[in-house]
Formats: sequence, C-alpha cells, structure tokens
Amino acid sequence: MLELRNLGYRYPGSERAALQGINLHLRAGQCLGLLGSNGAGKTTLLSLLSTVLAPSSGELVWDGPRSLALVPQQLAFYAGLKVGENLKLFADLYRLRSAERRERLQLCIDCTGLADKLQRRAESLSGGEQRRLNFAIGLLQPAQLYLFDEATVGVDAQSRQLLLAAVEQLTASGKAVIYTSHYLEEVERVAQRILLLHEGQVRLDLDTTQLLGADHGLLLEWPAQIPAGFDALLSRLQLHAEMLPKGLRIAALNGEQLAAISTFVSAQTPLPTLMRFGRPSLEQLYLRLNGGQL
Amino acid sequence: MRLLALMRKEGLLLVRDPHALAVLFIMPALFLLLMAGAMSSYMQDRLPPLQLSLDVPQPSEASDFFRTALQAQLPDSQIGTGANVATVRLAADFSDTLLATPHQGPTLSFPAQFDRLSRQRLHSAVSIALAQTRLLAYLQDSGALDPQLSAAERLELIQQRTQSQIDQQQQLANGDLSAQANATQMSVPAWLIFGMFFVVLPMAGGFQREQQSGTLLRLRCLGLSLRTLVLSKVLPYMALNLLQFTLLLALGVYGLPALGLEPLSLPGNPLAYLLLAISIALTTSCLGLLLAALARSTEQALLLGGGINILLAAIGGIMVPKSVMPAAMAQLAEVSPMSWALDAFLTLLVGHGSLVDIAPWCLRLLLLAAVLGGLGLFLFKQRVQHTQWTTHY
Repeated sequence: MLELRNLGYRYPGSERAALQGINLHLRAGQCLGLLGSNGAGKTTLLSLLSTVLAPSSGELVWDGPRSLALVPQQLAFYAGLKVGENLKLFADLYRLRSAERRERLQLCIDCTGLADKLQRRAESLSGGEQRRLNFAIGLLQPAQLYLFDEATVGVDAQSRQLLLAAVEQLTASGKAVIYTSHYLEEVERVAQRILLLHEGQVRLDLDTTQLLGADHGLLLEWPAQIPAGFDALLSRLQLHAEMLPKGLRIAALNGEQLAAISTFVSAQTPLPTLMRFGRPSLEQLYLRLNGGQL
Repeated sequence: MRLLALMRKEGLLLVRDPHALAVLFIMPALFLLLMAGAMSSYMQDRLPPLQLSLDVPQPSEASDFFRTALQAQLPDSQIGTGANVATVRLAADFSDTLLATPHQGPTLSFPAQFDRLSRQRLHSAVSIALAQTRLLAYLQDSGALDPQLSAAERLELIQQRTQSQIDQQQQLANGDLSAQANATQMSVPAWLIFGMFFVVLPMAGGFQREQQSGTLLRLRCLGLSLRTLVLSKVLPYMALNLLQFTLLLALGVYGLPALGLEPLSLPGNPLAYLLLAISIALTTSCLGLLLAALARSTEQALLLGGGINILLAAIGGIMVPKSVMPAAMAQLAEVSPMSWALDAFLTLLVGHGSLVDIAPWCLRLLLLAAVLGGLGLFLFKQRVQHTQWTTHY
C-alpha cells in the first residue's frame, strides 16, 4: 500500500533532522500504532504522509494513487454549522454521490453515535461529541490509508469503544491505518504493528503478535526492600529477574515456579504491594524502551 | 460541486453570525438614518428660512421701503419681533443719513446658535436692501423719481436698476459634488460604501478560524485548488456586497421619506449603478483576501480590518464631506478608495452622470482591486502552503 524509503525531514534553520532514515512498508488491512514521546517525530511523519510537508530526503511510494483520509488532533470542522451540515459539506468535498454518499454518511453517523445530534450546531456539542464529529468527518472520506492523531482525547469510555471499533472495522475491511495516541491501551487494542520513534529515528518496529505471544511473566513490587532469601529462591528455581525501581520482573516462568514463588511470598512480612502474572503490557514495553518517558 | 459546497458553507456561516450581520447591515443602516437626519437641516437643496426681527426706533417712509426690500431678499423668512432671533437695528436717524458718506448702516445682532452661513445670508440681504434704499433716496433727492409712483412701483423700479441677469452653468458630473449634495444624497452612498468595506472583517476572521481549527489542513489535504479556495471566499462576499448595495439604496429610496427625510432618487442608467457596485465589491473582496492572508488571528483581522476601514472613511470624505475639508485634507482624501467610490456615486446622484462619467473612478477601483487581489493571492497561497499539522498533546 505505502512504502517509506529512507524518509527524512529537516525543518528550515534546524541543525538536527526531525526525522531520518525511516523505512516502512505498510500493508493493506494493517493498523500501525505510531508511538514516541514529545518531539520524537510523530507529527513530522504525519505531515509528510499527508503531504503537508515535502520530504528532505527519501521518498514515499504509494502502491496505486495516493488515497488518504485524516482525523487531526484539532477539531477540524465548522463550529457554526450543524452536525449534519458539516457531514454533508465534507461529503460534497469528498465528491461522494448517490448511494455511496448515503451509505457512508449513515455508516459514520452510526459509528460515532451522532444520529441524535445531526440538527445541533457543532459549537453547542460537548467536547467529547465534538471529538466524535471530527472522527466522523475523517471516517467519511473513502481512502486506502487513514491517519488518526490523538483522535479519542476527551471522549467518554462508551464512545471510545465505538470509535475504536470503527478503526478495527477499517482494518478488517482492508484499509491501512496509522494510529497515534498517548492512550497505549488503545494502540495495543487496534494496532497490529507498533512503530516507536525516538529522536527522529525508528527505535522499535514490532509486530504486536510478538507482544501477545511473549512469555507470561511475573511482576512483583514491595513497599520497602526485596525480602531476604528471595535471590536464593530464584537461583534454586533457575530464574532470572530484571530489577525495576520498586521491585522486579521475572520474564518467563512455568506453573511450578510460579507456585513456589507464591508460597514464599505469602509467608513474608510485609506482603508485596503488587503481584501480577501475565504477558507484558505495551505500556511496560514502551516505558522500558523509551527510558521511562511516556 | 466543491466550489458550490464551500460557497454554501460561507453563506450559512455568515447568516448565523449575528455580529457580522450587525456590522454589515444594521451598523451602516443606522449610520445612514442618523446622519441623513442629523445633516438634513445643514445639507439641503433649499436653505431654511431665517427668523429675524427688524428694530425701527423711528419709523419712516425709508424704513418701510427697507423692510419691503429686505423681505424681497429673504422671501421665505419671517421678519417680525421676538427673542432669540437675529435682529436688524436701524439707527434713529436712518432716513436722514441715507445719503451720508461714509455711511453707517444698521446694526446686526445674532443669537449664539445662528450659524455662519445664516449670518452671511442675512448680511448680504441687509447690504442689498440698504443699497436699494439708498438708491431710492438718491433718486428722490435728485428729482429723478416720479413722486406719483406707489410703494410697490418704486420697489419694482429700484429692483430693475439694481438687479442683473446672471447666467449660471452647472458643470455636473465633474469633480467633487459633495458641496451640492443634500443630506440624503451624501449619507446614503457614504455609509453604504462604509458598510460594504466591512465585509473584510468576517472574510478575514473566517479564514483565521478555518486555519486555527484545522479545517484548512483538511481542505489542503483534499487537494483543493487555490482557485477553488479563493473563489469560495471572494464570490460569497461579493454577492453579500451586492445585497448590501441594493438594500441600503432601497432604505434611502423608501425608508428615508417614511421618516420625513428627503427621499433618495436614482437618476441615470441602472447599468452605471451595477458597474459601480461590482467595482466596490471587487475592491472590498480583494482587500478582504489580503487581510485574510496577512492577519495571524481573528483578533488581528478584526483590528486590522476595522482600523483600515475607519481610517479610509475618515480621510475619504465618508465621515466629513470633502467640501468642508481644507484643501490639503481634500487632496489627501484622493488616496482613499472610499473617496473614489463616493465621487462616482455623487456623479450619478447629484451630477446625473452617465456610465462614461463614472468610468474613471470605477477604473481606479478595479485597478486597486487587481493590485490588492494579486498581492492577496500570492500571500494567501503562501499561507495555505504553510498550514501545519498542529499538535496539542
């Protein structure tokens, strides 16, 4: 669908490249979660993808004509128009006609739960409703690639589920999606691939199935120090622990090893403040790779 | 289809913006009504009658003749008695000193509210009536007057000897006609032009909101051409200008007489009015485009647009007619496009000019529109190209 070959960008007057050496092949039906701390280069990459900026180096190669829809962070609609008028305006601008127009309008209204708000002026909607309208306008556009930039900020939990389901529906229907959000659980849910940017470069390009398939681990935290004898227990069980600021994490362990640790821990005073068994979350992975920065 | 959709959007946003509607329709309409009313006694086709009294301590045949001659000079005015009116006081020896040289004439006494023009009118009328009275005295003294003539016949004879036929030619449709315009002819076009220029405010402000909200980013990513974007701004506001033009002229024609003021008449070719309306509308739309590209926020657009309009109106003879400005200020007014538009309007309304007569002013407006539009287009393009993907989180 889209290939980025050694893509780079340097802002005029800046000594450092905002983005450099980005190589990426995005497939149809794939959702890419784009992560990175502030200044990592996410916005620059989105600007290059949407042709707001022209690359300083490298190239963007589309498989077929460029076909892109976007949901920017800003509430990019006309506040003085009604919800329905905004949607119809953008339907006209997207050149939607007859049956396709009706179908897409209905789909967007259903996906964003705006059916009872069509006659209300956009400026009179709540923050979350405005965010849903912004989302609907992006979703309305027929495209092969959809960019979502912090699209769910300020949206209530129920509406968020609607919007995330809409993103999942897009990928299921063969569209490519690039999704950026500071809500990592959202990215974890919708993305099949994670691209972590750091200082303008790709730090991690990970298939989330790798994350899902990762060995189950144990996370332990104590209010003070790790109890005496715990190191000896780990040696006996032939386990290795990764030390964390408040405790430790054991990357992979089986049922017997888990039972032995549980028996040891339950006999200690004080008890651990946290004891969690499962696969590592994206947030834990992100924090570890990004030096503790969200 | 895209252009029509964007134009429809501009129209809907305008109709729902009460502030813009107030500035574009209510403000000029109120100014028009207020100023037409306020200036109706000062700027009128016929000068108002004067209220004056004639104080005659020693009535005589000569003082009676003076009264009749003075009344003939001020036919609409009432010469009587009363307080707080201008007074013409004759000396007690008025009839005895008529042939004296040098001659001491009557004393004029003006109340405070008596304006300069009225003082001059009264002074001229008294001078002529006094000269006629003195001529009568001279003719009587020299025996050249038939003593059998009645008072009316004497006045007629003296008037024949003192009045000449002076031909006057009006060079209408040429030059600044504000001095000849009545309050209606001055106020309607002046505040109409002022109101039309105010479309720059919603035009430039709307563009700022479009950029700040990110809708411009959406439009840009859609690959809309610059031509579509510019036309979607310029055409609706030109249409709005033409609507303002029509409604405010209608207010002058039908609204002013309903309030007891002089009605506006629209002599001449309707095409001349259309040409003028289009010339003004193009100028204001191109100025709006330039301001839209120059301003960086809605507040800046408001200040820039409002400030420029008020300045152009102040120097362009909108707020103060050019006819009462000193020569240097009147010359400065020539730099204001509002002055060009007003001169063209007065050429039609007062000078009964034709399409050819207003063509030079319209050409000036159109040339300015081309310059403003060209610069606006260049800066607008830059502005659209520099629209960035903005992040808040």
